[in-house]
Order: sequence, then C-alpha cells, then structure tokens
Amino acid sequence: VKQPAYQLRSNKAVDRLTLIDGLKRVAKLADLSEYAYYSLGGPYLEDFRLLYEFYPEIKMISIENNDEVYKRQRFHVPCHSDRLKLKRTDFKSFLAQYDAGGEKSIFWLDYLGLTYGHFEEFMTLLEKVSLNSVVKITLRCEPSDYLGKDDTQTAQKIDEFQREFEAVLPDPSAEPPSNFADFASLIQDMLQIAAQKTLSSSMAAKFIPISSFRYADGDGMFTLTGIVCLRSEEAKVRKAFHKWHLKNLNWGRPKIIDVPNLSTRERLHLQRSLPCEKRAGRTLRLALGYLIDKNIRRTEAKLRQYAEFHNYFPYFMKAIP
Amino acid sequence: VQKERQRYEPVNAAPVKSFFVHMLTRDIKLEDAILDLLDNSVDGILRAKAGKKTSGSKTPYAGYQAEIEFAKDSFTISDNCGGIPWNLHDYAFRMGRMPDRSPDAPGSVGVYGIGMKRAIFKMGKRCLISTQSGQNAYDVDINPKWTDDENDWFIPVKPAKRMDGQDGTTLYIGDLYEGIASRFSEDAKAFKTELERMVATNYVFIIDKGFKVKINGDTVKPRPTRLIFDTKVTRTRKEVIRPYIFKARSDGVEVFLAVGFTRPIPSQDEIAEDQEEKKYSSLEAGWTVICNDRAVLYCDRTELTGWGEAGVPRYHTQFIAISGIVEFKADDPSKLPTTTTKRGVDASSTLFLQVKNKMREGMRIFTNYTNKWKTRPEDSKKQIEAGEPLSFEDIKAKSEDLVFGPTKTSLSRGEQFYPELPLPKRLQPNTRRICFNRRVEEVESVAEYLFEEADTDPSEVGEKCFDLMLKEALK
Repeated sequence: VKQPAYQLRSNKAVDRLTLIDGLKRVAKLADLSEYAYYSLGGPYLEDFRLLYEFYPEIKMISIENNDEVYKRQRFHVPCHSDRLKLKRTDFKSFLAQYDAGGEKSIFWLDYLGLTYGHFEEFMTLLEKVSLNSVVKITLRCEPSDYLGKDDTQTAQKIDEFQREFEAVLPDPSAEPPSNFADFASLIQDMLQIAAQKTLSSSMAAKFIPISSFRYADGDGMFTLTGIVCLRSEEAKVRKAFHKWHLKNLNWGRPKIIDVPNLSTRERLHLQRSLPCEKRAGRTLRLALGYLIDKNIRRTEAKLRQYAEFHNYFPYFMKAIP
Repeated sequence: VQKERQRYEPVNAAPVKSFFVHMLTRDIKLEDAILDLLDNSVDGILRAKAGKKTSGSKTPYAGYQAEIEFAKDSFTISDNCGGIPWNLHDYAFRMGRMPDRSPDAPGSVGVYGIGMKRAIFKMGKRCLISTQSGQNAYDVDINPKWTDDENDWFIPVKPAKRMDGQDGTTLYIGDLYEGIASRFSEDAKAFKTELERMVATNYVFIIDKGFKVKINGDTVKPRPTRLIFDTKVTRTRKEVIRPYIFKARSDGVEVFLAVGFTRPIPSQDEIAEDQEEKKYSSLEAGWTVICNDRAVLYCDRTELTGWGEAGVPRYHTQFIAISGIVEFKADDPSKLPTTTTKRGVDASSTLFLQVKNKMREGMRIFTNYTNKWKTRPEDSKKQIEAGEPLSFEDIKAKSEDLVFGPTKTSLSRGEQFYPELPLPKRLQPNTRRICFNRRVEEVESVAEYLFEEADTDPSEVGEKCFDLMLKEALK
C-alpha cells in the first residue's frame, strides 16, 4: 500500500494531533504518568515525538518488525531510552506475549491495510488491556479496492469481501458501499461489532468510542479511538469528553478530516478570523477574497475544515539544518 | 414403649412452573431460542400447504415470510405462515406434547412441543400471541402474574382479528429480562450479525426455496453452497470434475448426498498464508446436514462428519475446496437423525452412521484428488473452472441424467454415482518441489532486479532464479 511521504500527509498529521488533544481528556479519568504508549511508529517515530513533546511523563514502546526501519527508528529516537523502548518484533508475536499486568495503556494499531486479521488483533487487544486503557485503530478505507475491471470481477471481489469479514459485518449479505463516507461508516460498524463480541454486555468492561475520522492523503483511511472502561463508569468517561468538539461517543458517522492546502501567509491571514463558530466557511472565504477550490461550495467546505482543525494543523516549513 | 410409626404420605411430583420458566431456558442459547420460533413459522407453512399440490416447484415457500424485530424493551416475530389452528392449541401452548397427539404436518421439524414456550420464557415475562388461521382468530396473553403463580396453569384466550387479515401469527414478548434487554440494545449490532448468520446458515435451503426472513428490516440473504459440476462429458473427455452422489430410501426417510469441490484447490502459498493469518472469517468447507429442509449442521469439519476417520485425513486448509451436503427427508420428523434442539445431528443414530460411511467414501475421492494435484494447483484450477457451480437442487435435477450404480449398504434402495476425476497421468517422479525462505527485503531486491517490480510473486522470483541458473549449468 503506497502513501505519500509523511510530511505531505497533512490530514494524517491532524489526526495525530487529535489523539494528543483527546489524551488531555483522558487525564481527567486517570493520571497520565500511569500510562504506557504502544504503537507501530514507522521510520520517523512521528507519533512518539509528538507524545514526548506533550506528555513526557508517558512511557513509550515502539513495535517494529523490519530490520532497516528499526535501525532508522533508532536514529530518530526523540528522547532517552528510559522513556522510549524500541522492540524489534512483529505485532502478532508482541500481542501473544503482552500482559498488561494492571498497567494502563494507549495503543495505536496504525495499520495500512484492511484484513480480517486486523480485526482479530483488535479483539485480542480489547480482551487484554487494563481498564481505562485507550485503543486507537487505523485501517484502510478505500471503496475502489472492491471494484473490478468488469461486473464479474466486481462480483468476485464483493464475494471475497463478504467471506472475509462475514463475522463482523452488520448485514453479512450487503455489498460494500461504493462511496468513501459510507465505507468509513461500515468499517466503524464492523469495529463496533468486533468490540461488542469481545466485551459483550455480560462482561464488566465495555469499549466506548471517543472519536472517529476518515481522511485521504492519497488513499482513504479510517481511524477510531475508544476507551475500555467499566460499564458502571461509562458516565464518567462521557463526562470527560462531553465538551470536546471532536467527540463521537455514540458511534455517530465518522467526521471527515480534509484540510486545505494553504500557504503560511494565508494561514496567518485567516488566523485573525479564528475561532469562528458560525458560518465559518463563508467568513473565511470572504476574509481571503478568492476561491481556493473549484467553486464557492467546495471552497467553503475546505475552509470549514480549516476552521475546525486549524489548531491541529502543523506548519510545514522549509528549514535549513 | 413402642415407637410411633412414621406415616409416609404420597409425595407431590407435579412439575413446578418455575422449572419450565427458568430451568428449561438455561440450556439454550438466545439465538437458538429465536430459531425455534422460526421453525414454528416454517411448520405453519407446511400445515398450510398440507394436501395442496406443490411437488416439483423449486420455490415451495415463496410468498411466505417472517419478520423479526428486537429492541431494548421488546421482541416481536410476525409471520404470514398460516397461524395456529385452534385444534392445535393443546400442542402449541401446553408445556410438552401429549403422546396421543396426532402427528404434525408431514415434513415438519418440531417433535417435542417445547420450542415456543421455551423461547418466550427465555426472553421475558410478558407475551402476547395473536394468531389467525382460517376461521380461528384469537389472542393469547401471558403476563408476569401468570408466570409467578404456581397454581394457575390456564392462560386466558380472547377472540381477536389480525390487523392485516392474513393467516399468520404475531408473537410479542415484553418485560424482557435484564440480560436479554442489554443484548438487544448494548450488543444489538453484534447480536443482529450473529442471528443473521445463524438464520442464513440454518435456513439456507428454506430461504433458497422462497421463504423470506427479515431481521430489523434487513432481508437475510444466504449463500448456498454450490458444487462444481462439469457437464461437458464426451467420449474422449470422461474424466471431469463432478460431485460424488449417493441416494437411498430407508424406513420412511429419503437420503440424498453430494460432495465435491466449491472452488479450485488452494496453492501452497495460500495454505502457508492461512496458517499465519486467518484470511476468511467464514468458510464453506465441510459438511452441511439438512433435515426436512432445515440445516441442522453447517460446514462441519470434525470427526462427527467423518473427517479424520477411516482413511479420510483430518480437515486442513489444504481441503478448503471440499464441501458436502447430505439431506434427510421424512414425513415423520422423529425418524430424522437430529437432536432435540434441531441444532446438530444425533451421532448415534443408526441411519446417520450408515450414511456417514458414504460421506467418507465420497470425501476420500476429493481428498485424494487434492493430494494428487497439490503440487500442480494451476493445472487442477483449469479442470475445476471448466465446470459450473450448481446448487444442491440443481445437482438433484442433473442427477436424473447420471448413471447410478448399486452400492454395498444396508440402506434399502441405496445407489451411488462415482465421478471419474482427472488424475495426473504419471505421478511426476521427475519433479521436485523447492521451498525456501529468504528475508523480505532480499526477495524484493531480486524481484526488482529481475522484474523491475518489487512486489512480484515470490514463487515467480524463485522460479526465475532457478531457470537462470539452470541455463548457466547446462551451458
């Protein structure tokens, strides 16, 4: 699966920062210094760098199977090794041996593909983590994967999809949707079913979603973050996230992250009009005085996105090392 | 002093209502209890159709449907399947079946007369059954007071008309038990998926024959198993992929069995990948057993259906392409080899054991073929794809044209069709399979070097390397 270089993935960068922002609310439930962060960080350990910047008290563990990527990670470590441990192993083996031992954790299953194996790993993890742990999962969400060259090939691909995911499909005989938004909703439903199967109503613990997004820096992706908590403490979790404008506590439709490409000068100019809660698209369009997409509707949609996520949107700049 | 003699009065052995209400419901899963209610709908169709001419129709259940709706506070199943005739009330509402009761409509699956009551008591304390069958239209109301009263064994019945005027039954259950209510609300999505999967597998043949089942608004669409059947047989092309078929009629039970391939046999790579990570969350490999159109066992891959017994290998991903269906049909349901819950076969049934011999016999043909061709899956794929996937009913129809031979079985009128599958002409003593592992990055480097494409199939990369070296070696 090919994705653009990470520095060009602005929507993914926003998603990373929403996790950081979400953790601020998790701090209302438990002391963040009691948490350990586990992730499949990739060569640049970007999420670890961010986490260390905002929450240096959290212990971090990276899981990486590829030898060369592992070496590259060692080159990029953002902090001392007593804060960040780099494990060279595949996630399945890690999961088989993982024992939370009462330690709270934040897991980011940052996958690039979409397979039933990913759902199995998600379910295994939900069974294993301690109460008040945070689990984030990112999956490929590209409806075009299930379109064939002709009707026969499309039918074959749909059949394969149904066989592969039957156990977690809300309507096992339904075809995968052909548009991005509906496909993201379907994947969210599939994760909800996986969570309900693992932590069913007869168990004390429950998985509560806190946010979910879809974005496409190249191919479509879906990401869901949630908390495993006692059913009896559900209200406490809801209260902690109640005022967060990015919350999705009731499995609602995933929000889209589709931030516009704006120059630094444009961003600084728009800054004067932000925050802007009412008619943000129109206000920012008028502030700019020109269109940044094909028409007014699209321009305003992009600018609404900017208004919603501007605080999570990093500045990419040329730097001379 | 003579001791006063203890007097022993007759003891009360009458059943206690709470036994039925609470104990009997423990050994059944909620999903199974709901399937019991669907069985009642199907039995209703058979009653409604009894005496009418439908033989030969491919869709004898067409026009009939059942709708299931569940929510946090209630469960409802509503059907248009003929309703409960008043003369059956003693069976329908009594706990258990009187021995002198006349048999049900031919071909039904209910034997013990407990399904509906058990399903109701499994879910909640209140139930309203509204039914219309011809001239009879009445409501039966079970309320929590009745459930708790040990002495009251009579349930009030009121005359009533159904809203839609159609013959059928609506069963509403309220005052749900806490555990049930939370499964219908907190686990609603997962529960619906599981229920839909169970309906799709258990009723695969009934739905295929026209019955419609809706769950919370969605119509259940099963995927019936289709076996590859190559019809293009000529004098020079006799060895083709067709299923093994066995049929018999014994003591009022008709048996029809077919086993064959559903897809091409897997490549070694597919087998290896499957061992690392499960590719499919559902598989159609294995045996499905049907009793009076109802699948009582679905895609079983254990000793129960002959895998790993008497010369048949244990199930392994290698045999992912092999599926079998065996159907038992009887007017008297007590003769069918199924368990009381209708969710499994009676493994000790003499009839089933006899048929199981034939299931193994058929399976051996296809496990043997798989073993013979496993090193040449591409050649085998062409043979399998030359055939057409046929449904069980189509196979039955096609079997009319096949030449059946006698078989050694104690089942009366047993006969079988033995397919002649293509087998490798020689056992290929001149080839060897080469298999080795190399690091991903190294394989990608060689692939890029040879094919300018890093993600070329590793076996292609290996083969190309060998061919290049062979050329060198032979210079």
